[in-house]
Amino acid sequence: MFLAWREIKQNKLRFALITAVLLLVSFLVFFLSGLASGLAGLNREAVDKWQSDTIYLTEESDKSLNQSMMTAEKADEVEGGETAVLAEMNLIADNGEAKNGVALFGIRPDEFIMPKVTEGKPFKDENEVIASDYLRDEGFSVGDELSLSSTDEKLTITGFTDKSRFNAAPVLFMDLPDFQKIKFGQAAEQMEEGEETVNAVVVKGGSGEQVPDELEKIETETFIKNLPGYTEQNLTLTLMIYFLFAISAAVVAIFLYVLTVQKIGMFGVMKAQGISSGYLAWSVIAQTFILALIGVLIGFGLTIGVGQFLPNAVPVTFDYGLMAVYGAVLVAVAVLGALVSVWTIVKIDPLEAISG
Amino acid sequence: MTDHVLQLKEVTKTFGSGRTEVQALKETTLEVARGEVIAIIGPSGSGKSTLLTIAGGLQTPSGGEVHIAGERITDLNEKRRSRVRLDHVGFILQASNLVPFLTVSEQLRLLDKVKKGNMSAAERDGLFEELGIEELTGKYPGDLSGGERQRVAIAKALYSNPSLLLADEPTASLDSDRAFEVMGLLKSAAVKKDAATIVVTHDTRLTDYVDKVYKMVDGTLRLEEEKEAERLPDERTEFLEPEEERDGV
Repeated sequence: MFLAWREIKQNKLRFALITAVLLLVSFLVFFLSGLASGLAGLNREAVDKWQSDTIYLTEESDKSLNQSMMTAEKADEVEGGETAVLAEMNLIADNGEAKNGVALFGIRPDEFIMPKVTEGKPFKDENEVIASDYLRDEGFSVGDELSLSSTDEKLTITGFTDKSRFNAAPVLFMDLPDFQKIKFGQAAEQMEEGEETVNAVVVKGGSGEQVPDELEKIETETFIKNLPGYTEQNLTLTLMIYFLFAISAAVVAIFLYVLTVQKIGMFGVMKAQGISSGYLAWSVIAQTFILALIGVLIGFGLTIGVGQFLPNAVPVTFDYGLMAVYGAVLVAVAVLGALVSVWTIVKIDPLEAISG
Repeated sequence: MTDHVLQLKEVTKTFGSGRTEVQALKETTLEVARGEVIAIIGPSGSGKSTLLTIAGGLQTPSGGEVHIAGERITDLNEKRRSRVRLDHVGFILQASNLVPFLTVSEQLRLLDKVKKGNMSAAERDGLFEELGIEELTGKYPGDLSGGERQRVAIAKALYSNPSLLLADEPTASLDSDRAFEVMGLLKSAAVKKDAATIVVTHDTRLTDYVDKVYKMVDGTLRLEEEKEAERLPDERTEFLEPEEERDGV
């Protein structure tokens, strides 16, 4: 530490440069991780809110919600801790001033996926909906009448609920029978009790129950991974983050290696004087650790700071636990990069340094 | 036991093999006692630096034995030899052997970090004063003149109380006045610390300051001159009084 810190103090510029590189890389890593969790949230938020364990879809749907169609009667065969039926369709909602793509959920108000209202009241009468409060930011408000893209029916927002986005669209929750009318129009009026069509059954608690014929039981996490685009998008961002780890290791390795090569004479003289390779190597490791830590901490602060000023349209959510892990990984790969220099130091022959 | 700090017994060094074989050092025997200062002069390429690095345990000889402070170092591995260097040997090199990002006093504190048994603070201050660098302790090597740097290098080499002091062209980068001054200080400090000292140089004028002068020609070491042994240490250092030598610094 003695050597490490004094060298940093005396060569502020060059070490500030390494720190700056690490700062920028860590900023990018933190930001990408924020973006990854933000975008993931965009897809899965509404599902996470259920805190469900399993989801039942039809076997033939290949784990795709839209392709899974079952009657409510069939759906009710599912047993478990708590069950809830879910019908879903995507629409464009228009309040006369603003238009927005939405995911319309048909649910039963007495089942557990019924959301808590944070503003206004729950739906009660025909064609009333609870809307995700993201719509409020888009210019919608309680009492708005919504015209829809595929039907003449009009919906009325009676209240808002938080954290409800599904497949990148804000969710509208409505009573299942009304949902049938939106989806099937005239045909819905002839439906008997139990003939309504739903897409899935969501189950919380319970395990090992009999799976009804033609249905498939999947983990909620599997369901999320099979949302359109979800896995691809996550993989892309995660790959970028992993690449950044490799890049920062390489940049630190090259930078420190160049600095070390410049100091070969000095290290050689010190080794000639009997200062051990271990002491010198440890000094380089300590130096890297200090610089990486400073860079990552500033990068962290910068990310949080910039995050405060981002418009809501940028889907960034900071998962501090994950960021701490990524930060630690960045410091670790930087130290890994320093090992190249350690090897160089160990190999220095004091004789060459002296006679050279 | 002998009071010879350094003993080289029939030491040889060859580089390469077969037709490209070069005998850099022919069979050489040399002993240096505590408080003794010797010079090895000779043209470049004559093998004098090879001898010095073998004496300092920086490389192993092809044949013969090297003893430093009574320990046979010829068979030790690099790690153990490194330890012997740390404990017993002080180096003063041609170019300054100072760490550029440490102040003068930090140069010595670094040695405290890696080794025990260095000088006490009082001894160190005494040495600084003797070398005339007590005002420079907070400065970095880059802010010092060439002569000042070499004086600091002497302080650094002596700080760990070495029994063997090896100087390789310690005055090469200095003009004559500075060279004499540094050589004088080196000599008096080494004698005061009772270290066996070898100075390798091509500058024959510096031989005034040493007890014995050896000449190296083509790998063969020959005693060239021996000063009267009865000269007292006090007398020897008298004419190198640092205060006078440093006029005009």
